[in-house]
Amino acid sequence: MNVEISGLTRRFGRTTAVAGVDLQAGPGVLGLLGPNGAGKTSLLRVMATVVPPTSGRLRLLGRDPGQYGPRREIRRRLGYLPQNLGYYPGFTVAEFVEYFALLKEMPAARVPAAVAAAVERVELGGKAKARLRTLSGGMLRRAGIAQAIVNEPELLLLDEPTAGLDPEQRVAFRGLLRHLGQRATVVVSTHLVEDVGAACARVALMDRGEIVFHGTPADLTARGQGHGIGDAPLERGYSAVISAARS
Amino acid sequence: MTAPRVPATARRRPATRRSGLASARLLRLELRHNAMLWMLPVAVALFWFTTYRKTMAMPPLWNLRAANMQSGALADFITPVVGAAAWMGSREARRHTTDLVTITARPRWARLLTTWAATTGWAIAGCLGCLAVLYTVTARQAGWGGPLWWPAAVVAASLAALSAIGFAAGTLVPGRLTAPLAAVAAFFMLALSTELIVGSQSYWQISPLVTGPWDAGPNAGVGTFYPYLPDLSIAQAMFLAGLTIAVLAALALPRGSGGRRLRAAAAAACAGGLVAAGTAVALAGTGKLDAHGMIAIPALHDAANDRPIRFSPVCSQTAIPVCLNPAYASYLPAVAAALKPVLHEIAGLPGAPVRISQAAVTYQQGAGNSVGASLAGPPVSGRPPVYHLLLPDQLPGPVTTVSELAAAARLTAGPAILASVMGDGPGASQAQHAVTAALVMAAGLPPHGIPPAADGQPGTPPEVTPGSPAYAAAQRFAALPASARHAWLVRHLTALRAGRVTLAQLP
Repeated sequence: MNVEISGLTRRFGRTTAVAGVDLQAGPGVLGLLGPNGAGKTSLLRVMATVVPPTSGRLRLLGRDPGQYGPRREIRRRLGYLPQNLGYYPGFTVAEFVEYFALLKEMPAARVPAAVAAAVERVELGGKAKARLRTLSGGMLRRAGIAQAIVNEPELLLLDEPTAGLDPEQRVAFRGLLRHLGQRATVVVSTHLVEDVGAACARVALMDRGEIVFHGTPADLTARGQGHGIGDAPLERGYSAVISAARS
Repeated sequence: MTAPRVPATARRRPATRRSGLASARLLRLELRHNAMLWMLPVAVALFWFTTYRKTMAMPPLWNLRAANMQSGALADFITPVVGAAAWMGSREARRHTTDLVTITARPRWARLLTTWAATTGWAIAGCLGCLAVLYTVTARQAGWGGPLWWPAAVVAASLAALSAIGFAAGTLVPGRLTAPLAAVAAFFMLALSTELIVGSQSYWQISPLVTGPWDAGPNAGVGTFYPYLPDLSIAQAMFLAGLTIAVLAALALPRGSGGRRLRAAAAAACAGGLVAAGTAVALAGTGKLDAHGMIAIPALHDAANDRPIRFSPVCSQTAIPVCLNPAYASYLPAVAAALKPVLHEIAGLPGAPVRISQAAVTYQQGAGNSVGASLAGPPVSGRPPVYHLLLPDQLPGPVTTVSELAAAARLTAGPAILASVMGDGPGASQAQHAVTAALVMAAGLPPHGIPPAADGQPGTPPEVTPGSPAYAAAQRFAALPASARHAWLVRHLTALRAGRVTLAQLP
């Protein structure tokens, strides 16, 4: 298992963002669904080693991120796209991706090829030399995805990756996710259940800091049978689980 | 978006060499996108308008220009450098990339160090470029000596330290106002750092703005007859290097900046840097003004620097040669021309000097920040006699142009040379005063005692005032043809010097 989480809690002051989460994930795409404030981003940030858990056990890629050496090793194999992508406006797309490839300690000789490949994979090859300040929101999102995948991560954490992408790009991105999931563990936090249905082998549903459902998209769809809220079967399953968790 | 085709990257930790290559690539990116690059034109323009033009107006003496460059360049670069460094230090927080960069494998400290290195690299490169231009022009103008590198080293070390302080401020208090506030604060701190200097034994001499005895200012009399003393510069460079190391190492102390070993090493480096800086301050406090006008620090002093520099003087083709240190060669024509009428009056007289030779100044610390400067021995010595000349520029005071200096030398050295030949001075006879005053008038100098031109000149004999018998005798003697004056002096100078000639006996 690339992700082993048991009893993980993360508090920010008096607020408990993640409350005793248990989760295991191997290679494949795991969709993380949930309403606003459910704790998805906090869980991803803990998994990305941005912040340590307040309590509980976390192992990533078979290592303990609480220790400096293993954490550094995890970070070499990690890709992360935060919800709010910060960037340096003066950097070009290629420079931005190269910067993170170097910070991820990729062998310097391989960086140029890896950067070119990552930029191509997000279909920004024609904009590789464009400064980030000149890009649209969707293009910036794709540049963010490129920096996340440039090191061919074994654990890829994406927080709202399709926000700002047009439908065509979202379809293409789902294809990329499926491909990456063949080898790596990809955790995608999203509000868009159609993304989960199309690209994720498994789905976890969070509410109020807890995981209230973990299974396949088909399992989630099955939970929605007979439930009236939602346009699509998966949406009805989502609503049914949330309603059940809150009742 | 397309499926990946590149092979999986190696998971081994990069070897040192490859890591070095990666660091070089990172540095290249940081150099390309550094705020200091945008501030360089501002700093260079400031340097041009204030320091360069002022320095180039000074005589082409290496010590003079180097000292002025050190304090001037620092004042010009401090605000842009600290501002740019603080701006770069706060970049991650301002641009909301903290999460993104936090989860990368490269230690935070190494990442920050690269950004700081790029900022500092641009600052030092820009400043050294300005210095190179200034030194190149000086090399073409200066007749003797060579560039002084210690002031340049102090400037470079200062920029590194200031950049580190600004960068740390930006890192610790990230915000858009941090950069301007840090820049203004650094400017005032540096400017105020010299306000507390009292005398030569002051800890505040560690301020990189200080190039020598404070309040004496850049002095042409320093570093020409005796070697330039690097003592204070060494202490300043040590202080600045220690400060830089301490500040940069402190950035590695917070948790998450690196591994335990790195943080332990950083703590040791931080302590070491503070000890070095503290030691340097203590050393600066032991500095004393030496006899040659520089700050000597006993623990850093090299006794070899107390030996005078050997040189072959440059001499004029006047009746009595005027010989200057080759560093002042550009002054020689003007000084010789200024003294020529005076020398013409005494050439060939018994006891007249065979040479007017420029001498070194001896400095003495006075009360507070006052510095006394004078000739070490009597103005005339040796057999045959040699008159020892101090040029006005060798004395503490404003730096003058060549023509101003020649005029001042004529007004001060001219009467003094004549007085030394006539034996004029305290206890001299009225006849000696009168003859000296007569020769002063004959040489076209403002006669002593006659206001306003001669008012306040050193050595003014109060006895020779208009209306006095001595003044009348002086006018009478000055009115004689030069040959008659000269002939009379040849015959009677020995008696005149012995005080055996009365006013009535003067022709």
